[in-house]
Amino acid sequence: MSSNRAPIVTERLVRRFGKIEAVSGVDLQIEAGDVFGFLGPNGAGKSTTVRMLTTLLRPTAGRAFVAGHDVVAEADAVRRSIGVALQDAAIDPLMTGRELVKLQATLHGISRAAGVRRGEELLETVGLTAAADRRVATYSGGMRRRLDLALALIHEPQVLFLDEPTTGLDPSSRVTIWDEVRKLNTEFGTTVFLTTQYMEEADQLARRISIIDAGKIVAEGTPMELKERVGDPTLTITLQHPDDAIDVERILMSFGEPASGSDGVVAVRLAGGSSRMPAVVRALDDADVEVHALELHMPTLDDVFLLATGKRLEGAEVPSSAEEVVT
Amino acid sequence: MSTAAQYLALSRRSVLGTIRTPIAVIPSLTFPLLFLALNSAALNRSIQLPGFPEVDSFLQFMFATTVIQGALFGAVTAGSSMATDIEGGFFERMIAAPASRSSILVGRVAGVAVFAFGQAWLFFAVATVFGLDVEGGLVGMLGLSLVASVVAAAIGALSVAFGLKTGSSEAVQGAFPMAFAIMFLSSAFFPRALMSGWFLDVAEANPFSYLIEDVRYQVIAGFSWSRLVTALAIAGALFAAGLVLSGLALRGRLKETS
Amino acid sequence: MSAAAVTWGIAERSVKLIPRVPSTFIPSLVMPVFLTIAFSGPFASLVDLPGFPADHILDWVVPFTALQGCAFAGITTGMGLARDLENGFYDRILMSPAPRSALLWGAFVATILRAGIALALMLLVGVVSGAHFRDGIVGIAALTIAGLGLAFAAGAWAIGLALRFKTQQIAPLMQTGVFLSTFLSTAQMPVELMTGWLDDVASVNPVTYVLALARQGFLGDVTWAVTQDGLLALGGMIVVLVAFAYRGMQKVIP
Repeated sequence: MSSNRAPIVTERLVRRFGKIEAVSGVDLQIEAGDVFGFLGPNGAGKSTTVRMLTTLLRPTAGRAFVAGHDVVAEADAVRRSIGVALQDAAIDPLMTGRELVKLQATLHGISRAAGVRRGEELLETVGLTAAADRRVATYSGGMRRRLDLALALIHEPQVLFLDEPTTGLDPSSRVTIWDEVRKLNTEFGTTVFLTTQYMEEADQLARRISIIDAGKIVAEGTPMELKERVGDPTLTITLQHPDDAIDVERILMSFGEPASGSDGVVAVRLAGGSSRMPAVVRALDDADVEVHALELHMPTLDDVFLLATGKRLEGAEVPSSAEEVVT
Repeated sequence: MSTAAQYLALSRRSVLGTIRTPIAVIPSLTFPLLFLALNSAALNRSIQLPGFPEVDSFLQFMFATTVIQGALFGAVTAGSSMATDIEGGFFERMIAAPASRSSILVGRVAGVAVFAFGQAWLFFAVATVFGLDVEGGLVGMLGLSLVASVVAAAIGALSVAFGLKTGSSEAVQGAFPMAFAIMFLSSAFFPRALMSGWFLDVAEANPFSYLIEDVRYQVIAGFSWSRLVTALAIAGALFAAGLVLSGLALRGRLKETS
Repeated sequence: MSAAAVTWGIAERSVKLIPRVPSTFIPSLVMPVFLTIAFSGPFASLVDLPGFPADHILDWVVPFTALQGCAFAGITTGMGLARDLENGFYDRILMSPAPRSALLWGAFVATILRAGIALALMLLVGVVSGAHFRDGIVGIAALTIAGLGLAFAAGAWAIGLALRFKTQQIAPLMQTGVFLSTFLSTAQMPVELMTGWLDDVASVNPVTYVLALARQGFLGDVTWAVTQDGLLALGGMIVVLVAFAYRGMQKVIP
């Protein structure tokens, strides 16, 4: 059955709501210690997939294994292995941070004494010790996410699900959360399943990415692979002497189709990818061209997303609950 | 647009708004009838008690109360929909429109008065099926429904005042039990002649007792001009107070918006 | 994994939240006090009716409003659960490995604790208003069993509804259920003095028997016959409504 040791595996996972198929045959395989980024526009089936993997929703067809356990038949074992940081609303604003940590420990069957010890440690780690006895309603958005992260970690889960962990946060709070997630992953080897609306977030954190659209996986790979699939990177060369531009264009012909801008700037899309860059440098050197600056522009994940789904990811402005309404 | 036309348009909106949101109307239609049905079945024997006014049935005794209670229920929706309007921004749009400002108020209040009038006749039809006989005839029933309209307008104006003051439909609905309580602390559900002690003092101090007794008279005894006028006067005084308070609240709200 | 710890953890949270959401709980305390006045004040002379079982109206009304208070306090647990389900907090609870039945029993225990507060208040109202505790501590015990038992049933009803509808907008249905089941009983009159349709309804309504269990110590001595009927009625309601709540939980969680 679960011969596969990967922490998260889905096999042709399907979920229908009435006639609508929110998730249609998703295959995923996430390796131990990976940070996996799950991207998709609102209503694409992201949340539905996460809800199935976290035992909140029964799949209509197909199978899913988390930490080697079937999410349906062995839901309890799955629940023991996962930590889940949900979206903002899932923290009761009327409770204090410490009360929530304590309740979470109780729910995970951690003894009172051990729960208190572990809870204090975690509150310290996420920098909430001073605010622990305040009601969550008084917390900032960043504090709530940090508390959420602490709650998800109380039982030292093997697999951590982060559902849009930084939506609505200011840039500095976002960076704090990213650092925390990286630390978890590198220090404890926790496998992280991350859904996000932010390309930058996926680029920063994820080692592998899948893009889901209309319930189907439309692209997967490492961020670099995905970007290269979109097309060749663009190399922009700024020359010391603008007069060299015509010569340089001729040299660059063998690497792609160069184009000159004003003021001695020449750009070329590197056929064959970024690995061709040293050869360009050598060729320019051989021709004694004095180069002022070299810039390589990789396609962004935004471009990847556009190519895969035909849409721009505009999710950042859409309230995160919108997806749940649609799915 | 003339002022009269504005009043008409806003009243129309208010009445239609009430009828088109059945969830808001259902309690107003069902609860008073439910109480009437319950009390008629549970308390019918009590009319044999010495001192109970001469009536056919407890149903007949309580019918006027049910009509007034329905008016109260319906009227509170005026206040809460005013609060919903404020929450939803309709109010700002209305302020910005060149409508006369008092028409905002009058439209709302007229809406519930019309609703209460219609509801009174609906209750009449239902209770008649279960054996109600109104001694004052159709004239008595007309008097009762007019008083119900004025009571609805009065409570409507008061709850509009409260809605304008708080801007929260929940607060207005939360205030509803107050109206309910005031009614219970009167002779609305049982004759004063059978009360005693401190409760009798409370019921005698409560103007609702006299209002209800005067309209009840139209149902259980016969039509009486003098009693109708008294009931209208009590309801009218309440209405005047409601108008003053809601006028003040509206002025306060306008100051905040501008 | 200790199911008892989970049950207590859930119940403790619910009780701690009482003062933090006063708008839910306070009305459930104010209402029975008000109804005590509303049903005793105007109707004091009902006791003069031939065949009326009480000598004093408060002896008749206080046990009824105490039961109603318990039931209304009980459904506030369901309202709290609806709030948790609506805002997503319950997802967090459901994703934990805590036994599902421990989660439900946590809510049931909370229901009984909340009802205990209402019951204590109503006992105080009874003492202050001058109701007669004719069978002393035994009568109070009978009232306590009836009140907490009815609250359990009402709470299970409300919890079952919350789990099915997952929105706080279902609160009026929770309340209507309690209202109808308590009023369509011997709330105001004994069955023998009712007329028309109500006596038929009241005689098959289990709340009538629970009410008799609660009232007996106020009207005279507690008897086994009345107690037995009351306990059977309570047991039946609790079994059915707890099953309703369990089915609701199954619908929420695969």
